[in-house]
Amino acid sequence: MKTLSLLFFSFFIFNCEAQLKTNDAIPLQEEVKNYSFETVVDGINNPWGMAFLPDGSLLVTEKSGILYHVSKGTKTEVKNLPAVYNRGQGGLLDIVLHPKYAENGWIYITYASTEGEGDGGNTKLIRAKLENESLTQIESLYKCGPNTTKGQHFGSRILFDNAGYLYFSAGERGNHFVNPQDITRDNGKIYRLNDDGSIPKDNPFVGQANAKTAIYSYGHRNPQGLAINPKTGEIWEHEHGPQGGDEINIIKKSANYGWPVVTYGIDYDNSIISTEQQKAGIENPIYYWAPSIAPSGMTFVTSDKYPDWKGHLLVGSLKFQYLELVKLDGNKIIGRQKIAANIGRLRSVTQGPDGYIYIGVEGKGILKIIPN
Amino acid sequence: MITKINMGLSLLFVTALYFSNTTTFMDSKKEYLSIKEQQQTPLQKSIAQGKEIYTDFCIQCHMANGKGNGSTFPPLDGSDWLKKKITESIHAVKYGQKGEITVNQKKFNSIMPPMGLSDEEVANVMNYIQNSWTNKSQKMITAKQVSAVKP
Repeated sequence: MKTLSLLFFSFFIFNCEAQLKTNDAIPLQEEVKNYSFETVVDGINNPWGMAFLPDGSLLVTEKSGILYHVSKGTKTEVKNLPAVYNRGQGGLLDIVLHPKYAENGWIYITYASTEGEGDGGNTKLIRAKLENESLTQIESLYKCGPNTTKGQHFGSRILFDNAGYLYFSAGERGNHFVNPQDITRDNGKIYRLNDDGSIPKDNPFVGQANAKTAIYSYGHRNPQGLAINPKTGEIWEHEHGPQGGDEINIIKKSANYGWPVVTYGIDYDNSIISTEQQKAGIENPIYYWAPSIAPSGMTFVTSDKYPDWKGHLLVGSLKFQYLELVKLDGNKIIGRQKIAANIGRLRSVTQGPDGYIYIGVEGKGILKIIPN
Repeated sequence: MITKINMGLSLLFVTALYFSNTTTFMDSKKEYLSIKEQQQTPLQKSIAQGKEIYTDFCIQCHMANGKGNGSTFPPLDGSDWLKKKITESIHAVKYGQKGEITVNQKKFNSIMPPMGLSDEEVANVMNYIQNSWTNKSQKMITAKQVSAVKP
């Protein structure tokens, strides 16, 4: 028994200590500041998501559970919001308009909710309409379960693809050995629905026993960025890794993105989660950050207002408090450039209908980037 | 990567275990733990529960070693702010922290969001932080004390 304990303990120590292998392949270039910032709205602690209405006004979610309607610099609190479970990383999350909003008025929102089985909360998707600064006709479209009091990994971003399907992400809720690899469970997934919340018949796991048939892809940790690549129509996603190993992925139907079977990161206490970074049957990211930048928000630049940025990708960094321009050649990452250095925890980024880039910065609000 | 010191230390520790003749160490682990649990003081219990909260809510920014990242996230280990400003520290964990603070002569100006913890959870994680790494505090923080801290 003693010999066994000796062997076991040495082995344990040997296996638990790790140092993050950094990814230095593409160095981050310093900021070239040929732009200025204009405050669109201030006094929003955590501007998690934003959506422009056809009249040019802006809807902004604040994590603690407030939805602001911002028009000409003044913000009005939208009434009749559902109860939001505000704990850890959970709260009021993303907001997106239906592609045919002008015709049908649907607004899609994700948030952490206590509804359903178990103590705590989990990610929920609803749609509603905005009338007289109040949400009306609220419809529940999907609620992840079971609830948990864990503070981590709710996701969540919402996206419509060019065919009109509705996607949203939910993180693995701090339960990485149980949720992400199991398609009979919620969390650690990208979901695909029809715009009314029904499940498309050709979803990949339809017909599989006990499967959550809304799942489109799995093996995710905590995706907080979703965007359509305007050139290819493909869905791009980014997700938080642990210590190191934040990823950019191209989302494919039924694909496994590997968490926690493979990862380029290590755990916060420097222990190893997986010794493998790649495996057959698991999608490799097209890029990974090590150390982590803590990515949140993502948009492709299609506007002519920023000639140097056009065709490339913008990603917010919570950890290092800047906006990252990820330069692309097709699906390949060829450069990285810092924008808005030291601006604050950058939570959300979008290109407005006017072609300008808008960023949501924690502790500040929404800023517009104006090129010189 | 494993350092030689680390290897040496672990070998030393294991050797010490081997020769210390604590025959019950492995075989009666269950009993050993339950006795230990019974003997836990309220502070030790609170610290143990606080560790789980720390791993869940704090470790991403303040790191496992409590040292933060030196620029945006202040250290908790050896923090003079934590030591001198107990009420402010409880307030920060309970309601979030915003604006410039000076920790060990260094200025930090970032945001910590409110975590949505119960008063008991705030007390537990505070007790863990105050008694981890090089930090030591005999004064236990209670849920009652936390509930008295208003926004």
